[in-house]
Amino acid sequence: MEIISVKDLRKTYKTYKRSEKGFFKSFFKREKVLVNAVDGISFGVEKGTIVGMLGPNGAGKSTTIKMLCGALFPTEGEISVMGYSPAKERAKYVKKIGAVFGQRSQLIFDIPPVDSFAMNKAIYGIPDDEYKKRLAEMVELFGIADVINKPTRVLSLGERMKCEIVMAMLHKPEVVFLDEPTIGLDVIAKATIRETIKKMNAEGVTFILTTHDLGDVEELAERVIVINHGKKIFDDKLHELKLLLGNKKIVDISLTAPFEGDAIDGIPVSKNEDGTKISVELDLDKTEVKEFLSRLGKAVDFSDIEIKELPMEEIITRLYTE
Amino acid sequence: MKLKVYLTCIKISIAQATAYRADFIMSTFITLLSNVFFPLVTIVIYANGLEFPGWTMWEVLALQSIFSLSRGIASMCLSSVMWATMDHVRGGSFETVLLKPISPLFYIMTTNFSVSQIGLVVGSAIVLAISLINTGVSGVLGVLSAIVLFIGGILVAAGLFLIMAAISFIWVGNSRLDEISSSVSNFGNYPLQIFGYGLRIVMAFVIPAGMIGSLPAEVLLKGVEPLYFLGLIPCVLVLMFGIWIYNRMIKRYEGVGG
Amino acid sequence: MFKKIRHIFGEGKAVAFATYKEWSAYRTHSLVSVFVGPAYFIVQYFVWKAVYGDTAMIAGMSFEAMVRYYGASALIGYLTMDFADWNLQMLIRTGKFLTFVLRPINHRRFALEQKLGHRVLGLIFEFIPCLLILWLLFGVDMRPVYIGWTILSIAITFLMNFYVNYTLGMTAFFLVNAGGIRVVYQLFANVLSGALIPINFFPEVVRRIMMFLPFQYTNYIPAMVWTGGADIAGFGLSVPEAVMFQGIALVIMIGFSELLYRAAIRRFTAVGA
Repeated sequence: MEIISVKDLRKTYKTYKRSEKGFFKSFFKREKVLVNAVDGISFGVEKGTIVGMLGPNGAGKSTTIKMLCGALFPTEGEISVMGYSPAKERAKYVKKIGAVFGQRSQLIFDIPPVDSFAMNKAIYGIPDDEYKKRLAEMVELFGIADVINKPTRVLSLGERMKCEIVMAMLHKPEVVFLDEPTIGLDVIAKATIRETIKKMNAEGVTFILTTHDLGDVEELAERVIVINHGKKIFDDKLHELKLLLGNKKIVDISLTAPFEGDAIDGIPVSKNEDGTKISVELDLDKTEVKEFLSRLGKAVDFSDIEIKELPMEEIITRLYTE
Repeated sequence: MKLKVYLTCIKISIAQATAYRADFIMSTFITLLSNVFFPLVTIVIYANGLEFPGWTMWEVLALQSIFSLSRGIASMCLSSVMWATMDHVRGGSFETVLLKPISPLFYIMTTNFSVSQIGLVVGSAIVLAISLINTGVSGVLGVLSAIVLFIGGILVAAGLFLIMAAISFIWVGNSRLDEISSSVSNFGNYPLQIFGYGLRIVMAFVIPAGMIGSLPAEVLLKGVEPLYFLGLIPCVLVLMFGIWIYNRMIKRYEGVGG
Repeated sequence: MFKKIRHIFGEGKAVAFATYKEWSAYRTHSLVSVFVGPAYFIVQYFVWKAVYGDTAMIAGMSFEAMVRYYGASALIGYLTMDFADWNLQMLIRTGKFLTFVLRPINHRRFALEQKLGHRVLGLIFEFIPCLLILWLLFGVDMRPVYIGWTILSIAITFLMNFYVNYTLGMTAFFLVNAGGIRVVYQLFANVLSGALIPINFFPEVVRRIMMFLPFQYTNYIPAMVWTGGADIAGFGLSVPEAVMFQGIALVIMIGFSELLYRAAIRRFTAVGA
């Protein structure tokens, strides 16, 4: 069942070009510029899935997610989330969703998260018994029992983000929007945040998350939407994204003697560090691993070899520049 | 040597502040404007045919502009020491100051010169000039004495800022400390004669807030009163106390850690 | 309807309580007022003692009334001050306002509930200690002449200050440099709210204009009502009349702020500033 459907979404901003003509002239006469932040995006989301949105800064993903949350009116196009039109029915709609915008905290800085939670309980009008049960569940799930009674200002970024997510989900939203949920976190904190998102997803919550971090997508999202210049440039399963640029692998080779050439038996060397550590980008459709290894063995002496997937960063960079 | 460092840093602050010209003009203008009303209550009182006994309106305005001038100069050099110390202590970044190879007080002072107070200084100077045209002065000796007492007043105002900065080590994050120094100084904003005898003694010779405005004004306008020079001693003491307690708090901070 | 009222009541209690707790960490800071308030009061006392000399009445006020006026003016400040303007501008500048659009709450109501919690602290740590100092230590008779009108007038002032400041804060939705507007307003408010000098001392033309501006309703009128002033606004308004004018000013202010709030939210959801 489709819980979110977006049709031909557009958002156009008017901005004013800064004129060089000096303060007063530019004050009265400004040049108008139209910017298409989101330029005709359509997609649907199945209930209970996690969808990752990728894109460089200023690509339009934040604008898209804000429109999905009802915080921004679309210039054109239609959005339907659980049957609501987000911006038009914002008052009713926001009761049904959860949203965390990584850099903009809902938690009150000087008091413990549990007090901030109690405030949201009143704002969302959650009944006492339901609130207690839900809070106990989530505290257990996120492992934050000893955290929620300390003032927010002394918590680590990871602990804060967990509390932030709890705060946004106390009222049991079916759909949750996360904007950069792991930004600025260390590796361990990232992993626990991803873990908790997975657990909530297992209970049937639909997540839409935007991120810079490909790790988030690799760990969480079965589906990826890539946005650039306000347009959707990719929308499919994650492994399809990897196939997009061909069935390729990276082979790192440690050599016993320095290698100077720029190809091994006709296969180009993509990286060469001080001659003894080289990398090759192998197109499996042209050369199979087995064949490559035998050709490699004939061409050079090597002490170690590692075969890796094409890194996501690489894929995305190529996708953006195409 | 130190003076040279200080002057260099002031030059840098001015260059920094004026780099964003519009911002600088705006903030200077706001400082000026928010103090432009200081003579208003006085003007309203005199406009209603009332007076401070023995003082004409222009005399009171001269007094109050000396007060503002004194506070303005002191806060140009030292008010941001208070704010900067407060921020460092609250944010736990005072260590960065301690790492510098010069005295922490001197370092904060040189790097936190608040140029925008120039608005207040210039504004007060203009009001003072206009007032003096209307009142005249008591003579060369009066002018010289007034200048000496005026410097004493700057020392008091500066000392108060340092004491507040020192308190901010204990009373962490209290952004209202400035109000305390303002409320103490405020006693110098009116002729000392209006206060009761006891308060007058205190304001002249114990916590010499009178030196910030009223005493130099009295000497300038009404003639030299040698007794007032005694008040210079507590002025120096207040400043020395300020420096001492500020440095003591730094020692304490070093001992305890952030 | 009943359910909605109960919801707002519960929400108000929770927000006020959270804010109370939030600022409790800084409650000792309020004690600065216990020093600063009386210090300014002493200066005012001697200034007016000197100015009055042997005169019985100035601008319709006796020396005793004047002293009580300054006491009331300061005390009312502790009960009604807020920085909704600064707070809202900060939320807009940092983009944190978004977190309110994403929750089922009206931010203006939220901010008012915050003020309630914040001012409870003001009541405990500023108003009561300073009242006791003025009354018991300085011997100023701070008993309100008409207790009912005084409470009503202070309640209106509480709301008036809030709606004025919140409206000033909302300018940040439309202007980049809204901070300037705030500073300019405060400049005028300092002089014209009556905190420095009662409005009675201003020329008639200024007093007439003041009737139509918010300033005097945020401090002067309630202070006059408290002290049972005889010649309110210099037009000889009676206490009930003064409170009535205050009420009218409040209604207009609320209406204006409501219009601006709607426009602001419309703009926010259109540009996402």
